[in-house]
Amino acid sequence: MPATILVVDDSRVVRAMVRDALLADDHRVVEAPDAREALAALEDAPVDLVITDINMPDVGGLALVRTLRARPRERFTPILILTTEDGDAIKRAGREAGATGWLVKPFDPDQLRQTVRRVLGARA
Amino acid sequence: MSLELTISISIGGVHAAARPTLIKTLLGSCIAVCLYDPTQGVGGMNHFMLPRGDPGRNDGAQFGAHAMDLLIGATMKVGGDRRRFVAKVFGGASVLDLHDSVVDVARMNIDFIGAYLREEGIPVLNSDVGGRYPRQIRFHTGTGRAFVKRVIRARDRLMAADRASAARPLPYGSVTLFEGE
Repeated sequence: MPATILVVDDSRVVRAMVRDALLADDHRVVEAPDAREALAALEDAPVDLVITDINMPDVGGLALVRTLRARPRERFTPILILTTEDGDAIKRAGREAGATGWLVKPFDPDQLRQTVRRVLGARA
Repeated sequence: MSLELTISISIGGVHAAARPTLIKTLLGSCIAVCLYDPTQGVGGMNHFMLPRGDPGRNDGAQFGAHAMDLLIGATMKVGGDRRRFVAKVFGGASVLDLHDSVVDVARMNIDFIGAYLREEGIPVLNSDVGGRYPRQIRFHTGTGRAFVKRVIRARDRLMAADRASAARPLPYGSVTLFEGE
């Protein structure tokens, strides 16, 4: 079932690649280049899933995850981290922050869609 | 006076440094991007080649974007801010024979990096791309200065390396779901 997905990444090129992958499954995609704009977008309308990068200017992705988990509306919203980071320690930090899953770039568009279906299905 | 560190990178490599460092690489049809944050005086360099990928898929741009993502992330980790980054771009020499069946990877690499940096809004201060001969690049991360030298003798060696790299598919990243672990 199509969902509304917020994609947070400071790279416009990466956001476009993620958007193209998700549009193939008819999802509605909202984009934000940083955590501040992501929070502003979530004030406008709730989303079904957040996909966020880690290394971004000012506020990083893990801080964004913690902020979202402290808000009643996003407490149970699935959050996927999409990053170049692949270390066990930072993955553990992501899990402790409240992320639902961790995808390492470069991503396979088919695998991204499958993962999105899985986390959205688990939520339903 | 502190001694400057020297690091050499090769294809697939990326290095960024908080301390002034000389990063060196030897390029054939690959691209090296030197990123520099003039306010912090930090910088980094990568060295990549787009894979040919599967026909009909956007694998090339995906892996090029990944190489740039790694460089941007590494340079931010040493104190840079991507909003201040400026770039210098080198490589993309046609070291492969014109009659070779391998696609024009040099042209593909040049086109990709131009479009990528435009899209990301990263200004290109200087670029030296194309031509027939390999280049040796030396980039000073503390000053943002880069030096290019043509290395005609390395052409045969780089031709074989580039042919192998152009044909090699790169792996996608892993997926981990935390729930139920």
